[in-house]
Amino acid sequence: MNQAELTAGSLEAGEIRRTPQFRFYRRLVRRPVAVAAILIILVVYTAGVLAPVVAPYHFDDADLHNTFASPSGDHLLGTDRLGRDVLSRLVWSAQTTVIISALTVIGGSLILGVSLGLTTGYFAGRVDSVIMRVADALYSVPTFLLILIINATMKDRIKSLFHDIEDFSGIGGLVRSGAPNFFLLSLALSIFGWVGMARLVRSQVLSLRESNYVLAARAIGSSTPRILFRHLLPQLTNLMVVTITLSLGAVALAEVSLTFLGIGVEDHASFGVMIFQYAGPTNVRAHPLLLFAPTIVVASLMLSFNLLGDALTDILSPRRR
Amino acid sequence: METRRLVLTLTGIGVVLIVVLGGLSIALLATGGGNDSGSAQNGSQTSPAATAQLPQRVAGELRLFGGDPISLDPACASDADSATYIVELFSGLVSFDKDLKIIPDIAESWDTSQDGKVYTFHLRKNVEFHDGSRRVVADDFKFSMERALNPDTQSTVGEVYLSDIVGADDFIAGRAQEVSGIKVINDDTLEITIKDPIVYFLDKLTYPTAYVVDRREVGNSTCFQGADWTQHPNGTGPFKMKEFVLGQRIVLEANTQFYLDPKPSLSQITYLLSGGSPLVMYENDEIDISGVGVNDVERIRDPNEPLNKEYHTGANMSTDYIGFNTQEGPFNDPRVRKAFAMATDRALVAKTVLMDILLPAKGVLPPGMPGYDENLAGIPYDPEGAKALLDEAGGPDILKDVTLLTSGQGAAPSEALAAVTALWKQNLGVDIQIEQEELGIFLRDVDRGNFKMFSLGWIADYPDPQNFLEIKLHSQSPDNETKYSNPEVDKLLDSARTETDQAKRTSDYQEAEKIIVDDAPWVPLFYGQDSVLVKPYVKNFVNAPFVIPRMRYVTIER
Amino acid sequence: MNGLAAYVLRRLLLVPVILFVVSMVTFALGRYAPNDYVAIQAGSRARPETIERIREERGLNDPVYEQYIRYVGKALRGDFGQSVKYRGTDVQDVIFPRLWVTLQYNAVVMLLTFAIGIPVGTWAALRRGTWLDPLSIGTFVLVASVPVLVSVPLLQWLFAVKLGWLPTGGWNERNILGVKVGIFSAEAILPVLALTLVSVAGLARYMRAQVLDVLDQDFVRTARAKGLNEYPVITRHVVRNALLPIATLMGFELASLFTGSIILETLLGIPGIGLFAFESIGSRDYDSIMAIVLLGALVFQIAMLLVDIAYGFIDPRIRLSAEGPT
Repeated sequence: MNQAELTAGSLEAGEIRRTPQFRFYRRLVRRPVAVAAILIILVVYTAGVLAPVVAPYHFDDADLHNTFASPSGDHLLGTDRLGRDVLSRLVWSAQTTVIISALTVIGGSLILGVSLGLTTGYFAGRVDSVIMRVADALYSVPTFLLILIINATMKDRIKSLFHDIEDFSGIGGLVRSGAPNFFLLSLALSIFGWVGMARLVRSQVLSLRESNYVLAARAIGSSTPRILFRHLLPQLTNLMVVTITLSLGAVALAEVSLTFLGIGVEDHASFGVMIFQYAGPTNVRAHPLLLFAPTIVVASLMLSFNLLGDALTDILSPRRR
Repeated sequence: METRRLVLTLTGIGVVLIVVLGGLSIALLATGGGNDSGSAQNGSQTSPAATAQLPQRVAGELRLFGGDPISLDPACASDADSATYIVELFSGLVSFDKDLKIIPDIAESWDTSQDGKVYTFHLRKNVEFHDGSRRVVADDFKFSMERALNPDTQSTVGEVYLSDIVGADDFIAGRAQEVSGIKVINDDTLEITIKDPIVYFLDKLTYPTAYVVDRREVGNSTCFQGADWTQHPNGTGPFKMKEFVLGQRIVLEANTQFYLDPKPSLSQITYLLSGGSPLVMYENDEIDISGVGVNDVERIRDPNEPLNKEYHTGANMSTDYIGFNTQEGPFNDPRVRKAFAMATDRALVAKTVLMDILLPAKGVLPPGMPGYDENLAGIPYDPEGAKALLDEAGGPDILKDVTLLTSGQGAAPSEALAAVTALWKQNLGVDIQIEQEELGIFLRDVDRGNFKMFSLGWIADYPDPQNFLEIKLHSQSPDNETKYSNPEVDKLLDSARTETDQAKRTSDYQEAEKIIVDDAPWVPLFYGQDSVLVKPYVKNFVNAPFVIPRMRYVTIER
Repeated sequence: MNGLAAYVLRRLLLVPVILFVVSMVTFALGRYAPNDYVAIQAGSRARPETIERIREERGLNDPVYEQYIRYVGKALRGDFGQSVKYRGTDVQDVIFPRLWVTLQYNAVVMLLTFAIGIPVGTWAALRRGTWLDPLSIGTFVLVASVPVLVSVPLLQWLFAVKLGWLPTGGWNERNILGVKVGIFSAEAILPVLALTLVSVAGLARYMRAQVLDVLDQDFVRTARAKGLNEYPVITRHVVRNALLPIATLMGFELASLFTGSIILETLLGIPGIGLFAFESIGSRDYDSIMAIVLLGALVFQIAMLLVDIAYGFIDPRIRLSAEGPT
């Protein structure tokens, strides 16, 4: 998470020029490295979204008569110890990443971060200082450790909550689908993940609050929500897109790490599970491809996010290199 | 000027930081060491902090990979890792030798009364605690066993291994000040009276709960408090604790005063508690003995592979199984349980997933265990029959919310188990989710019947079928997690318990096992097997099926 | 400087508040978790009466706030309870040796990072415009992007299995002048290598940007234009600018002692504080978890404070508000 926080922090500190959208994107696509990074990210996330369609097999389809198969036409990346298709497991793992990222972005960055940022920025004073104190506090605790603890201790509670929801609503299969784990993991990530976005929005709102058109809007009697959402928010879209993009890498890595430790998603494919199962030295020696496949995907995803982050920061604050 | 000041300030901050934190740890480490030597003054010659030395090989040293022990208190340990060290550090009245025969240990000999209920042990007169301060007398045994039974000690195993003794129940319940069945006749003679004339009572006495501890050292420590003394225990076993660094290593050194032959030949044993892969450590000559896992066993089985000559296998008296909650739906219906048993192709899983390092199981008793029935048919693999039987009992729908409980930490459950559930899915059309729980929580849930089905293994404490069939499947046994209850089986087990005719006893147990397998409270999955690599210069290594004191036999001949 | 002192004081006053909140949240999570932690400690075969008696003895039937007050009281006197993994051992007797392990290799990583990262980054900046530039920056980004979760299994495979040069993991301390030191054994190389690679790449990347910034600044150009020897100017400013990342990195390094080490130590089986945190969470060892979290939060606070102070010294333009520049 630190990576994204840092970058968000430097964005905030740096002088940010409001570039018209088209100029922003034109500058971005002129950088081949950035385009390549975007492509890699898009491929992984699209595969994740379309997993049920594009994955040749289900991630759990075992075939005990065809274990450790070498790559072939049927199984492009071979199969694992249970005869499960490695490529399909990668694709379904990407789905897990997509779900967690989406939930965390919506819950943490958009809902919590934007609303708190707008509130604190616009209504300075007591509200502002309380929320920013909380943000400080969240920055000064060992985040990963607390996320681990929240997940470990709340897992069973959340599960029984979902059981109750199932009983109450009559919707079956919620717990089965792994929804409680997804929910809890994103919740824990969101609790600590809103600060960067809130600070960014706040600092922008602070500087825009006294700008002419906001003053004008206020003068003609626009209501506060209207000013916030019609006048201030659109100004921030670019920055928000950038911040979210930069945080996605951290969210994805957090999901993989937590799942690797056995505290993230359960009963679902994940890069964390794949690395966990084939990371031991004797495993790697015997079946190198089974470790290389997920690690290469994770590493290239992280690399792409970093390259894209560099490019975005560069465009937005051109003095830095 | 300014720059220099900045550099100095920052360097200063850095240095202060490192010094403060480092110093803090060192200071705390040092005080920890101080405590050690403080309590070691009680007589122990070995002060771990002082004798810690460079981890270079000493002549006659054996190096092993070891598990981190949870407790080295003989009264408390309930796991195999802890027991491995305890049996070398402590000793009791009797023990198993390398051929799994009961041999006299601290007791030189014993008499059994006509009715088989009273054991009179005659103690050796030359057994001393490691520190050489005094000899072991009968009263030390009474103290140690009562300590293990005392509820204040909070032992979870004392009762399991010692409650056959007359008066143990009253003592546990607080109705008596002592265990009436343990009598000190004189310093050299101890008399133990048991409730029923069970033939495996001596087997139970080989378990650490009956070992002798130094009362001056243990004080009033319990299983959960004040266990500092276990870092430098003053035992009576063939090896002494030389060094114990939590999480890193345990070093044992030979007890030259040991009273049994052969005396330990190894000068010391170093157990490395941390680290990566034992097999790679073995290949890099860091350790002398290593287990072999599924990834390497095929390579090592190849006769052309140099390691093949160092490869040994041996029976390991254990059985992995799936247990059902037989008192609750859907598994109170024997047809459902049987359908699962029929749908489980153990041979396939053993071969493809486990590379045959475990053997497919048919029954409860593992090979090597007395009473093991080679001709037991078990429930053969029959996918069509399984499906039909399940449909007859209500179909896959009755299993909608069933999860399979297992112990474990980490991203994914064991692959063998995943393969088993995959087979169920394929053959029965049921999607059983595997739920992992941390071992302690898992055992508690299983103990409380908080499950529909679970996966567990049971390893013998002593080579007697009672240790499997009665303990795990008698309706009155506290360790019968499945709450399986069949009066016919109970009757057979009860009579076999005290039967002195060996042949009749065996046939009773085999009869009971047949009924049990057919009722299917368990789906037996795999029998254990030890696959190990042993360096050629390590001689007389005993590949024991369960934890026994075995290091005194080992020699190193380079 | 007055402003700084006031700021430091304010931050220091905040430390106990945050510790208080963190301890309360963690305590509540532990106590309200659905698993009965006494039953877990007592093991599977304990009788219900025994468990009930222990609950009573430990005051676990009291209201949670009373338990919490009692815990705080004990903790302030240095009693953090009992470990579950090592039965009957005090938590602090387990934690500090574990922390020491983690501290050792992290300290070495930090020193190596500065020793390598700063010169390499500066060097890369001075080579701007040559073919080495894209190569070096590419390498930095690549190496800095690979997470420990990915790099460690690969390094382990390469150095321990394929080449057989290093042990696969673990930790081995020996007595040096009465102190148990593990950093001089072969086991320490793999973790140090894995962490150093990442942070050297990160620092070098940062240093390169910093130096380029300085080179482009007006005063350097002016100095050049005046024909002055530019190097003293550059050196001075580069050093000044380098101090910022050093301070930040040191802060983060210290702050991540507790969390950054979890994955690394799990992969390599190093018995440090990270692995202990992971094991404690897995076995619901709440006394240990509390102690680790409190210690972690404390170290984190101190680290952040030091970073802020360093910023204040180096660049007085950075306004020290409670928000801090983190």
